[in-house]
Amino acid sequence: MIERLFEIERLADGDSPVHRLDARVKIMVCFGAVVALVALPRGDALFPVALAFGILLALFLAISRIRLLAFAARVLAILPFGLSILVFQVLFPASPVHDPTVVVHLLPGLAVTAEALEVAVQLGVRFLLCLGFVILLSSTTRVQDLLTGARRLGLPSEFTLILGMMTRYLFVFGQMFVRISNALATRCFDPLDRALPYGYRLRETGYTLGTMFIRSYEQGERTYQAMLCRGYGKDAYLLVPRKPLLAAEWVVLGGCMAVVVGAPISALLLA
Amino acid sequence: MHLIETKHLSYSYRDGVRALDDVSFVAPRNVKIAVIGPNGAGKSTLFRHLNGILLAREGQVLVRGEPVTRRNLREVRKFVGVVFQNPDDQIFAPTVEQDVAFGPTNLGLDEATVMHRVDEALGLLGIEHLRARPPHHLSGGEKKRVAIAGVLAMEPGVLVMDEPTAGLDPRGRDDLIGFVNELSRGFGMTVVLSTHELDLVTEFADYVYVMDRGAVLAQGTPGEVFEQEEMLRRARLDLPVLSKLCRSLREQGADLPVSYTFDEVERNLAVALHLRREP
Repeated sequence: MIERLFEIERLADGDSPVHRLDARVKIMVCFGAVVALVALPRGDALFPVALAFGILLALFLAISRIRLLAFAARVLAILPFGLSILVFQVLFPASPVHDPTVVVHLLPGLAVTAEALEVAVQLGVRFLLCLGFVILLSSTTRVQDLLTGARRLGLPSEFTLILGMMTRYLFVFGQMFVRISNALATRCFDPLDRALPYGYRLRETGYTLGTMFIRSYEQGERTYQAMLCRGYGKDAYLLVPRKPLLAAEWVVLGGCMAVVVGAPISALLLA
Repeated sequence: MHLIETKHLSYSYRDGVRALDDVSFVAPRNVKIAVIGPNGAGKSTLFRHLNGILLAREGQVLVRGEPVTRRNLREVRKFVGVVFQNPDDQIFAPTVEQDVAFGPTNLGLDEATVMHRVDEALGLLGIEHLRARPPHHLSGGEKKRVAIAGVLAMEPGVLVMDEPTAGLDPRGRDDLIGFVNELSRGFGMTVVLSTHELDLVTEFADYVYVMDRGAVLAQGTPGEVFEQEEMLRRARLDLPVLSKLCRSLREQGADLPVSYTFDEVERNLAVALHLRREP
């Protein structure tokens, strides 16, 4: 699972105008879109807004030259979470209607209504678009850039430092995991090998996880001591130098925010 | 048929770094091979191909004449034992004994055979007394031995070690070299190891490969390789100290044949200094 980390990093490390765009612009557009999609009241106004956002997303995807398959794979990986919420929404609507139009009777007291389906469709559209924007952001921005971008946008330096260390060690442990699995493979251990007794496989896998745990604990201690040696204290922070946005980046930001803010407002006014 | 052979093996990492470039490498029976080269020369990447951790994409890796594929990985790993540079990557069971037993158990051997192999491997490395100890209480040198024992217990035909002397004290280093020589002499095993310590190469290697930037720059007996001073310098390597001394004295007019191992140099120097007669 953790090897996927390096795959995401590789995607984000690509080169395209979207990859090169300042992280602040991408963070603001992404969050703007998510907030707009969540805040938009339920009703017909959603669909034109969704169309506009969909076009914006498609445009970014096309320019970023991310392979659609890789993008779809990442959407698919998260989809089950959203789908389970939708299923619950259809079977047990959050806001029951006074006189519902029943589409299918499943069990006594359990029915699918047209109203619940409509709410589910609206929820599904919002979910997919939000997901699309977040995955676009993470596929075109390296974690390090996300962090400096967030700091420049005003994320407190304590968070930046902690998140920064977290990402650094996520990769350290990712590599540790890969090395340990190589060492296990070298001695012919495969946790899915049915020729070995089940209990044995379970125990050895347990040892592996335990070793990872002890090692991460020890690594944490070593790093903390090394940090203290370099004067780490409560006022420590990661240095993020100031960097003004380029004129072109202001233009992109302005254009995108016009869509992100303008589309929902005009849709609501017209409706 | 060689035990291990790579033919025009090339490998690029996903970020485009060319780690191996047309490497043809041969490990015959009962030979001690040293692979030397600066950091990032591709030694570890080559070693990872030898037991199928990485599968050849360009070129071929043959083990006992057969290409390494997903199908025969198990056989290949049984035959080619790889010891990693950092023993902590490899040792993970709660006690030394359990860790050494790990490999043979995975081969599906019965308990008596596994215990027999554990005894043999621990005895070979002289670490029977560490049997019941948890790995995190061991010193660096002890961990190294446990890691090697864990691979030897699988009774491989070829032992591949990635920088086995890194982090060892001088005594540990000498013990290791003695042990490698013993493996070759007593068991006819082929040993391949990578190192930065050139003094060590002259002491144990029958054959040397010099790698730089993914390619094999030179190969031959230690004598043949260490003659090529210019090539070594290009690969950010140096001559072994003793060879450097011999060369320097020769340039200053001393009547001293070029030699590489400690015993040879000592003998030749003793003769040159008239402490001993011509052999």
